[in-house]
Amino acid sequence: MLNRRHFLRDTALTASALAVPSILRAQDNRLVINSFGGAYEEIHRQLVITPFEEMTGTRVEVVTAYSADTLSQLRAQKEAPQFDVAHFSGGLETTAALEGLLSPIEPSELSNHDQMYEFAVAGISKGVGPTYSTAVIGLLYETNQINPAPTSWNDLLREGIGERVLVTDAASNTYGLLGLLMMNHALGGTMEDLTPGLEFVRKLLDNGAVVVSKSPEIQQNFAQGSAWMAAYAQDYAFTLTKAGLPVKFVQPQEGAAFAPITVNLVANRPNRELALKFIDLSIRAEASAGWAEALRYSPTNRTVTLSGEVAEQVVYGEAAARNLVGFDPVVISDKRAGWNEEWKRLLVQ
Amino acid sequence: MAAVDWVRAQARKESLALLAPGILVLVIAFLFPVGTILITSVLERTEDGAFELTASHFGKFFVDDYYLKVAWRTLRLALVITLATVIFGVPLAYIMRRAHPALRFAILLTVILPLMTSVVIRTFGWLVVLGNGGLLASLVAPFGVTGRSAVLMHTETGIVIAMTQVLLPFMVLTVLGVLQGIGRDLEEAGRTMGAGFWQVLRVVVLPLAVPGIVSGSLIVFALSISSFITPSLVGGVRLPVMAGSIYQSIGGSFDWPFAAAQSTLLLAATLLLIIPYARLARTP
Repeated sequence: MLNRRHFLRDTALTASALAVPSILRAQDNRLVINSFGGAYEEIHRQLVITPFEEMTGTRVEVVTAYSADTLSQLRAQKEAPQFDVAHFSGGLETTAALEGLLSPIEPSELSNHDQMYEFAVAGISKGVGPTYSTAVIGLLYETNQINPAPTSWNDLLREGIGERVLVTDAASNTYGLLGLLMMNHALGGTMEDLTPGLEFVRKLLDNGAVVVSKSPEIQQNFAQGSAWMAAYAQDYAFTLTKAGLPVKFVQPQEGAAFAPITVNLVANRPNRELALKFIDLSIRAEASAGWAEALRYSPTNRTVTLSGEVAEQVVYGEAAARNLVGFDPVVISDKRAGWNEEWKRLLVQ
Repeated sequence: MAAVDWVRAQARKESLALLAPGILVLVIAFLFPVGTILITSVLERTEDGAFELTASHFGKFFVDDYYLKVAWRTLRLALVITLATVIFGVPLAYIMRRAHPALRFAILLTVILPLMTSVVIRTFGWLVVLGNGGLLASLVAPFGVTGRSAVLMHTETGIVIAMTQVLLPFMVLTVLGVLQGIGRDLEEAGRTMGAGFWQVLRVVVLPLAVPGIVSGSLIVFALSISSFITPSLVGGVRLPVMAGSIYQSIGGSFDWPFAAAQSTLLLAATLLLIIPYARLARTP
């Protein structure tokens, strides 16, 4: 029956179909995935995409899209999804799974399933794909200026560094949000009450801290000498070190937050078998180790062996992983919009 | 009689044929998306998944001093930027018209060249100039101005400077077009009648240039009220403007209806200011 509601829905569908570039219209011999661009995508190709193409003879179409953009696209394409495999970092996969955008996976469908740490495959039967590596959010500091090295989140308030502290926008940057939740946790706050964390950030802002929203801004500030300490990710500290900056990462004593990076099976796509092969290849030990070696993401496959510098610069082994704090992604997705409103008010000048 | 009718009908068909491609593009790329935004801004999903009409998304905007503050900042910045492009652009266009053709071409090239570069690249240039340890900071350092006060990054002044540079060509080119249509003899007549340089400018040139200044201002205002990249890069997250707030609602809070309501309000505000202004241009 044609009524206004149907008309609106159909109109919206047509709009989303029109908005999808033709590159996304996958055929059966192609697999459409997202990756995060730049150096990440390069390593992604090297570790997973190219080996997959060689193994299966399938062409992989890579769309560069961050987690939030990918979720937006999956939502818009709900009736006719265009991605086969979606990668997320920092919790949005749970939102997507709850909305039925991702497909559950049986342990038996992944040959590498039993090699994974339990937490990394805990959600696969609910649609949350395996965590193939993790980012760790702690403190980055400038080694020439900050002495002694920070040991606690409270070191962000250290005398004389006020204007040289970077705060990452929690409303637009997942690492920023995890940093805020971690500071809140360190100061005794809970997911129900963000006040301690927000008050802490208010103090940082009063001291003159600079708010950034994108990671290149962090690099720019450290490079120009206007940043000495920042709450951000371990892998990014390595990016700065590689760029020749005197920057190190520490896990503060109160703990560091971890952000899962997941590979997910998109629901209602015809390529299930191929997509599962891709996911299986993503979680094999070789790939997990490769991420640690190339970009310092912590491995989630327990058969991975790392040595020397690499082992020191990631969270490696079950004992080390104990200091990591995870935040419930279901609560995050439920509360995020409200937190964003509080956060924006805290920041606005 | 019939022949005349036939010719008229034919002429109408021909005009329609010429209009068709433009109209088609407008429908697909403008009317349809704007319509979708308007619809999204007044619908709400109820418990059972149906949609119903609501004004709550607009309500959220108006009861909240945060969003009113963002709207006011956007409007204020757009007005200041428009004024700045008038102040810098109109004299420049006047000089260009009077100048020797070779010099005019050289100035024209300098004005147009930045348009050939992406706005992101140009804005990054400003980050280098205005940022910490940037050109500006090192210029004022000998005078004892150091630290945060020497940095225009993350300030409204910084946004105005960068946006004025980005939008200046639109003003200069529009005004130049109008000035070139004013005969030099009018100015000469004024001078012959005893008016000084400034008086000729004020009494003869400026009034005739008004349509150009008005259309230039309209373009600059519309572009600056909806600009996203330059304010977000130079201003940062602590100085949000409407476009950035809409982007945040879409990608950060996933609140599309509220984003649609903000977009509708931005469009309405632009039209509200543009329509009376455009009327102004028609008065002789």
